[in-house]
Amino acid sequence: MDNYDVVVIGGGPGGLSSSLKAYQNNKKVLLIEREDKLGGILKQCIHNGFGLITFKEQLSGPEYVERYIDEIKKSNIKTLLSTFVLDIKKVKNGFLIIFSNSKGISKVLADNIIFATGCRERSAKQVFIQGDRCSGVLTAGLSQYYVNILGEKMGKEVVVLGSGDIGLIMARRLSLEGSHVKAAYEIKDSPSGLNRNIKQCLEDFNIPLYLSMTVTKTFGKDKLEAIEVAKVDKNMQVIEGTREIIPCDCLILSVGLIPENELISKLGVEMSKKTSGPVVDGQMMTSIPHIYASGNCLHVNDLVDYVSEASVIAGDNASKEIKEIEYKNITIDEHLAYCVPQRINIKTSNSKTIMYLRSRCKMDKAELKILDSSNSEIYKKNLMFVNPAETIRLEVNLDNIKDDIHITLNEKE
Amino acid sequence: MKIEKLNKLLASKYNGKVKAYEKDQTLYLEGELDNYQDIIDIGYLSVDKKRYLGVVNDIKYSKEEVEHIRIPNIKTTKLDNKHVDVLVIGAGISGCSIARELSKYDLSILVVDKENDVAMQGSSRNDGQIHAGVDLKASCNKFKYLIKANPMYEQLSKELGIKFNRCGQYVFFKEGWLRPFVFGLCVVKSIQGVPSYIISKKHIKEKFPNINDDIKFAMCNPRAGVLSPYKYTIAYAENAIENGAEFSLNTYVESMNIVDDKIESVVTNQGVIYPRVVINAAGVFADKIAKMANDQHFTIHPRKGTELILDKKVKDITSSIMAVKSIKDFGAHTKGGGIVRTIDENILLGPDAVEQTFREDYSTNLSNVEALIKKHQASTSLLNKGAVITYFSGIRASTYEEEYYIHSGINTKNIVNCAGIQSPGLTTAPSVAIDIVKMTIDILGDVKENKTFNPYRKTHPILNDLSYEQRDELIKQNPDYGVMVCRCEEISKQEIIDCLESSLTPPTIDAIKRRVRPGMGRCQGSFCQGVVAKIISKQRNIPLEDVVKGTMDSKITYGSNKGSGKRG
Repeated sequence: MDNYDVVVIGGGPGGLSSSLKAYQNNKKVLLIEREDKLGGILKQCIHNGFGLITFKEQLSGPEYVERYIDEIKKSNIKTLLSTFVLDIKKVKNGFLIIFSNSKGISKVLADNIIFATGCRERSAKQVFIQGDRCSGVLTAGLSQYYVNILGEKMGKEVVVLGSGDIGLIMARRLSLEGSHVKAAYEIKDSPSGLNRNIKQCLEDFNIPLYLSMTVTKTFGKDKLEAIEVAKVDKNMQVIEGTREIIPCDCLILSVGLIPENELISKLGVEMSKKTSGPVVDGQMMTSIPHIYASGNCLHVNDLVDYVSEASVIAGDNASKEIKEIEYKNITIDEHLAYCVPQRINIKTSNSKTIMYLRSRCKMDKAELKILDSSNSEIYKKNLMFVNPAETIRLEVNLDNIKDDIHITLNEKE
Repeated sequence: MKIEKLNKLLASKYNGKVKAYEKDQTLYLEGELDNYQDIIDIGYLSVDKKRYLGVVNDIKYSKEEVEHIRIPNIKTTKLDNKHVDVLVIGAGISGCSIARELSKYDLSILVVDKENDVAMQGSSRNDGQIHAGVDLKASCNKFKYLIKANPMYEQLSKELGIKFNRCGQYVFFKEGWLRPFVFGLCVVKSIQGVPSYIISKKHIKEKFPNINDDIKFAMCNPRAGVLSPYKYTIAYAENAIENGAEFSLNTYVESMNIVDDKIESVVTNQGVIYPRVVINAAGVFADKIAKMANDQHFTIHPRKGTELILDKKVKDITSSIMAVKSIKDFGAHTKGGGIVRTIDENILLGPDAVEQTFREDYSTNLSNVEALIKKHQASTSLLNKGAVITYFSGIRASTYEEEYYIHSGINTKNIVNCAGIQSPGLTTAPSVAIDIVKMTIDILGDVKENKTFNPYRKTHPILNDLSYEQRDELIKQNPDYGVMVCRCEEISKQEIIDCLESSLTPPTIDAIKRRVRPGMGRCQGSFCQGVVAKIISKQRNIPLEDVVKGTMDSKITYGSNKGSGKRG
């Protein structure tokens, strides 16, 4: 049986960065990908806007991953495509990974595993849209696959629910393909996607965005014929008397992403309710030593550059020895939705700890503070235009941490 | 009650708008009302099983909206002038099990259904329970068939190559004082042939560690089980085909020609068929078919039930079938549903029961979905809204007698009605089929056995059921067994290709989903739907835009966005 220093599961942007970093650290690396090509979801993201931070230029999704794939091809990283991990078992000298591909069922032994399994999309029924099971109701990612990979036309009259980035991108994409995109609806009172996407994908194409509104029902037994939309109150409950019927033959859903963590949770890794991903330390290591997580299975990212960055951290640390572990927790106040990492291993160097946070609310000016257990300030940063759609990224020296730390985010006048 | 008394009652209660009369051992109701529930109530009120075969409720609902029944939009002469011994109308669990039972004899059998696949209505839209029969009166027809059918499942599942789990049913009670009554019920039921016993709180906690604390005791019916209702129906159909039966889908019965109290021919959108016997297994439309045949002695009033499917990750809620019962649930037309761990290891909640005028309106509504979640939270705290991955509705083909109508024709000689089939219709299908076939043979006269009948259906490997060694061996023979298409349910490419080899499988995403399960998981097909569509398109050599989601008109795409010309 083959033995690898590092096995990376998932060949999207996260897995690509992780495996390259581990390889650069002279480790024997295996990269396992379920699909027949590397690149993950970026294969179908043919719009540009990727790589502004990493490469200081605007790339399309395929161009962004191509840069990593080229490096992988030049390396000695063993890559298995069309390969599906069936099971992972903790064994005496590491982890036994069992997988399936066209050659058969095989096993490898891994000293370290990096999970880069991405996320999945929430479906219509999972946001409790009612109706029959007609065609024409599909998630943004699936419609993107049909349009960009299979080259198909999707709808004549299209409505988008959710103002997440993929939804916005698809509104533009379908407009360019000749569909009439009637409107986008967002249940929250502010858009979920990046500002630039609201402007470039909706405003530039005269597609109205209706906030505090949602789709409640679909009509049609065979093909979608119409939808019912309604206004919602602050608690996202439908306001009676505001229901309205909109004829359309295609409803695109961009109603949230859920980190895919079926394999990792089966191993018994501690999960975070806030991110739906595993709890990690500053080294992106999970509660089980030698198991790391990176990319969208850790938390849903808005920028691929952050996926790559966190994955490099995971790849780097998966190539290093773990000396000792003593965790101190990172807690957050009510204005923050989550913070990754959720804890710090004070027995290792944390001089350049990267943290990703999400705010719960919109603030024009805000002050972010990291406090120690005696409420003394360790770190302070002033932020502009904080909103839930955009990640707050920090780079902090946490080398002198002795105890749990607490992060606060407050609006500034 | 006597007709005069009934008419008096109706006259006083509904201002003379409704009248009852008797004809052909049947009670007819006519008139017009603007309250649908009143019409239903009158139907039930008029039931008199001793006096009549059934109630034909023709009371018009003045506010009724016209329902657009799905009719196949094709017209061919494929079946024109086709003479068959037996024509079965309806390819649900009844029609398919009857076809397979008929195929044990040397007969020409044709099954028609207006949908593009078998099991498209009630037979797909239920909880897959093989009932123990605890909630049925020992005197009713349903019970008679159930007692006969229930023990057949071990053998039947082997023959048809489907999974069946006799997991038992557990009914929990919060009212401790009910225990002596339930104990009495257990004794009576056990004597009647439905073994039942009481389990104390201590033992409940051992078997159901996640059950809520306020449960006092439970009743166990070990003869209950689960299977996949659609795979079961499909398996019956495939085995019937293997043994010579013919299926014609997208075939809609438009009318019948009755000559001398016999059905001479049946007119469909695909031609005029000349059958010696017609079997009416048309589910929610069975009364319409019976009326066409001039042999209607019952009414179907559609009753919708909604069911929720939960993620496999909460499968520890139960390993069997369970329900919490309260004193107020007794006597209702449905048990209010339970919690079932399906044969494919999802948790299923429901069904509820709502009367509606439409026979084919499967739309769900939020209040029912929310009520189901709330109701079943009474059993376990593990249950939450976030675990729901999908939901669906089914429509019961209820008669006012709440009983099957299984009869050879009264007015028309060559029809056998298999109607009013609702819960436990899935369970009783094998014994009902035996009876229906007996009635059919009685009409046909001299019928020989089919000497080549093979009860074992040809099956394909299901990778999830195999060991890694067995899977490895299969992959060595056919590499596509190693390539995974559906990540949630772990379905390989070859399993989908295998399924497309069956002549019965229509080129639809949902047909593949019912047979092999890609898209049944937590992502609901958002990862694999496009890939499955591509495989169907390639295997069946049809353009992608002809791959539909479910029904004939459920197009997914509108063709290539790359101009005319062929795609690579």
